[in-house]
This record gives sequence, C-alpha cells and structure tokens, in this order.
Amino acid sequence: MSLVLEARELRVRRGERTVIDGVSLALAAGQAVALVGPNAAGKSTLVRALAGLLPAESGGVWLRGKPLAAWTRSALAREVALVAAEDEGASALAVEDRVALGRYPHLGPFRPPGPEDRQAIGRALRMTGIEPLARRRVGRLSAGERQLAALARGLAQEPGVLLLDEPAAHLDVRHQLELFRILDEVRAAGVAVLAVVHDLQRAAAWAERMLLLADGRIAGDGPPRDVLASEACARAFGVSVRAHAVPGLPQPLYSFEEPQSSSSDAPKSGLPPSEV
Amino acid sequence: MSESGRRRAAFATLAALLPLTLLTAVAVGSVRLPLVPLLGSLGLPVGARLTPPADTILWSVRLPRVLLAAVVGGGLAVVGAALQSVFRNPMADAGLLGVGPGAAFGAVLAVRSGVSETFLGLPASAFAGAMTASLAVYVLARATGRATLAGLLLTGLAVSAIAAAGTSLLLVATEEFRVKAVLFWLAGGLEGRGWPHLRLAAAAIVAGSALLLALARPLDVLALGEEEAASLGLRVHLTRVAILGVASLIAGAATAASGSVPFVGLIAPHALRPAVGPLTRHLLPAAFLAGAALVVVADLGARTLSDRLDLPLGSLTAFIGAPYFLFALRAQEEQQS
Repeated sequence: MSLVLEARELRVRRGERTVIDGVSLALAAGQAVALVGPNAAGKSTLVRALAGLLPAESGGVWLRGKPLAAWTRSALAREVALVAAEDEGASALAVEDRVALGRYPHLGPFRPPGPEDRQAIGRALRMTGIEPLARRRVGRLSAGERQLAALARGLAQEPGVLLLDEPAAHLDVRHQLELFRILDEVRAAGVAVLAVVHDLQRAAAWAERMLLLADGRIAGDGPPRDVLASEACARAFGVSVRAHAVPGLPQPLYSFEEPQSSSSDAPKSGLPPSEV
Repeated sequence: MSESGRRRAAFATLAALLPLTLLTAVAVGSVRLPLVPLLGSLGLPVGARLTPPADTILWSVRLPRVLLAAVVGGGLAVVGAALQSVFRNPMADAGLLGVGPGAAFGAVLAVRSGVSETFLGLPASAFAGAMTASLAVYVLARATGRATLAGLLLTGLAVSAIAAAGTSLLLVATEEFRVKAVLFWLAGGLEGRGWPHLRLAAAAIVAGSALLLALARPLDVLALGEEEAASLGLRVHLTRVAILGVASLIAGAATAASGSVPFVGLIAPHALRPAVGPLTRHLLPAAFLAGAALVVVADLGARTLSDRLDLPLGSLTAFIGAPYFLFALRAQEEQQS
C-alpha cells in the first residue's frame, strides 16, 4: 500500500497548551482509520493539523512525500478534504450549491465549472444518496441529511485523503450506518479515510485500523480489537473494556465498565467474555 | 414556484421597478415635468420635447441627482451584501459596522481641514475613514473569537461611537461657515449634486461592485466559515481584507457623494435573500437594483415631502430602515431559538 499522508513527531500548540505532543502516523491509500480517544485528547486538533489548518510547532506532516508547507493551498485542498460537524453557516444555500463549493480548489475564484466539475458534484450527491434533496435548502434538512451534505462537499473535492471530525455526531443509528457505509465505498475507491469517531463500538465495526490518542500522544495503533483490548485503552478512557463474541456477528460486541466494577463478575449481556 | 422561477420573477420585478422609479423621480419635483415631453427630451422618439427651462432642469439638476441616488443606493446595498458574507451574518451593514460613520468622519475631517477643496480630497478622505473603521471592527471582533451577531454589533457600535465622537469634536472646532456643510454630511443628502459628483461616484461604485461580483465565488466560500473556507484552499484573511478594501472604496465613494445614508445596505440584501438565494452572483446584482430603487424613492421623498425644505435623505432611510432592522433582528432571534 502506498503511503499518502504521514505525520512525523508532530507537535501542535493551541495557545499556551501543547495539544499534540510528538505524534507519528502514516495513512495509506484505501485505508479506513478510526481515531478514538477520550475528550480533550487532541483528536480535533490532530485532524486539523493533518489538514494543514494548524501549524506544527515542531515535526511536521508530509503529503505524498512532500511537506505540507511545500504545497500551495489549492493543491493541498485538491488532495485533502476535511469534513467537520456542520454549523449554521451554510443553512441558506441549496444542497447542490453547497456541494458545488467543494469544487473551489479545482476552479479557483474565476474559472467557470466544466463537465468534470458537474460530474464530480453529481457523483458526490449520488454516493451520499441526497440527490433528491439537491434543490432543498440546507437549513431545511434533518441533522443527518445535513451531515451527508457536508460529506458530499468533501467528496466533490475528489481528495486522496478524507479527514472527518466526528461525522456521526448527532446522527441516529440508521444515518450512522448509512454514513459509514458511504465511507467504506469511498475507501474502496482508493481514498485514505481517517475519521474521529466517538462511539467505540461503531469505530470497531467500521475501521480496519484504530488509532488511540491520549493526552496528545498515540497510545495505540492497530486492528480495533487489539487496541480496545489494550491496557492503554482502559487507562486512556478510565474504564475496563470487555469483548463479547456473538455468533453470527463478524465483530465482537464491547461493553464498558467503570473501574470500581471492573473486578466484578459476569457481563450484563450474559454472554461469556471471549479472548481478544 | 420553483427556486429559479422565484429568482427570475424577482429579477424581472427589479428590472421593471428601477426604470419606473428613475422616471418617476425625474418627473416629480418642485417643478413637475410632463411625462411624454420628458421622454422626448431623454431621446425617445415621441414627437415632443420639454420647454428649454424644463429641459435645463432635467439635464442639469434632476437627472444627475436621480442617477446619483441610484448609484449610491446600489453601491451601499452591494457593500451590505458583501459584508454579510465576510462577517457571516445576515444583519451586517456598513452603518452598523462603523464603515458609514468612519466614512462620514473622514469626510468631515476633509471639510474641516480644507482638504475637501482639493480634487479627490473628500472622497479619498471618506475612503480612508471607511477602511480604518472596517479594519478596526474586523480586528476587534475577531479578537473576541468568532464574529457573532452580538460581538459584531457591539464592536461596530463602539467603533461607530468613536467615529461619531471624533466627528462631534471636529464639529465644535469647525468655523461657522463650514458647519452647515458638515451637518449636511451627517444627515445625508443629494442637494446640489451634479454630473461631476455622479461621474466620480459612479466610477468608484460601478468598478467596486464589478470587482465584488468577480469575487462572488470566494465570497460564497467565505460564508461557509473560516475553517471550511481554509480547508477548500481559500486564503481567508487575504480575501477578507481585499473584500473589506473594495467595500470601503464603495462605501467611501457613496458617502463622499451623499453623506451618510444608513440601513440601505442592510435592507436591500436582507429582503432579497429569500427570493434570489444566498449565492453572491445572484444576490449582488439583485441587491444593487433594489438598493438603487430604494434610495431613488427615498430621495424623491426627501425632495417632495415638504414644500419648504429638502428633508435629510439619511434620516428618511433611517426612519424606514431602523424599524425594519428591529423586525429582522427579532425574526432572526426567533428562528435561532
């Protein structure tokens, strides 16, 4: 697999605080990575630094072997897309117009959109399943549809790396499943996908690789079942994690308990804890 | 009606409305110009012309003043629309953000110091005032984090207050024979304006508006918010400062021509956004047409509502605009809650 994005000993400050403290990681094309960690671990900061939106204090980020600083802003935006939780800014725009702004890195301020731009916009709308909503105003959408519109904007950028900051926040379970299915399709098309995911169960079900961030450092990196079973994970979240094999499910189910009850007996599901 | 149908209807209405208001404003005044000969004097083949004295009124008084009102109104509306994108706030306006008061301060300073008697002295000074005020509001509002509605309005209020205080200070220190000129600036008006004023204002305002229209796509990206705009490859600060610069050029030129004419920049884009949508390439031209019609009508009122004196144009737009502002503010807060 070819490396697309790489961070080496990355250190990022926000104000007085060092939020990212020596992170090294590499993303390969077509890889699905879930970035997990407790609140204030620095996940959002890391994602923004990887997108080139926050400067590195030391160390750095390399995209296709070239440091981010050596990329022009628009060339960088053609390669790396960031999709964050939606705010109110775009609410008056029609969905299609919002998605079309994802072509900005390709068009710049003045060039009129061509056929390939319209195709990219159409593809993004189709992949996210919001084609029927194309002329609806973003403000009229449900939270789930709005998040899909934001994702479609990122897809219209046709990036090699797709970074997402809690894309599933505020989404009901059906929209979560839909979102991660779309991310799987994106990954299958050769895009490196890294998403901050709050729900560990969902992260384990979706990602082939899990990065655990704690106090601004990488505390775990590997297949989700290994990371979740690690001592570092229990320490980072301050809970004990158990995996339960369920017949017919490819993934174990996880349960989480507060430390004082960690020594207690059988899990509530009644299923025997499996070896992980 | 479909969205594009609604937009077309809005543009058709505006395109019909503006010539109508222009014609009415040219015809109506202390001396009423009969419509058919008026059209003849304007070059239409209707077989009649105005009498020579009426023709003089048309060409040397009425027409330049009415066209200037249109250009000033259009320019202020375009500035309002652009500022609403830069500050991501549908309630932003040149007056509320200190641009108008800044321009007025610059203009009064020019009158007080005598710079206004030199060529371009007054407009250049008004532009400098507008630019200083808009940059101050931008920098100060940013220092408090995201430019929220409250933060923005309060910062604009503070900067406007400083500009107004400076203006008062200058007023006290101004020789009596100049006070009338200064007061005229503060109240806004188009009395005694002719072709030279129109040429200068139109050049700056039309060029500036065209420039903002050319920057339509960056303005749309900017309205998505700083982070998303940066992640799409936009140079956020450079773009904002460039847009503030062009907006100040337009606001400065408008203020140099007419004194302060508040609220036009708020009303025109705000009222049209539901009809034409928020995309800059639709909103700016629509706002220009609506702002032009609005100020032409307001100036017509300023000339004709009293038969003894010209009413201050700025007061009239404020009488219309301030209630609209309160109404819109309330609607927005209800929507947010």
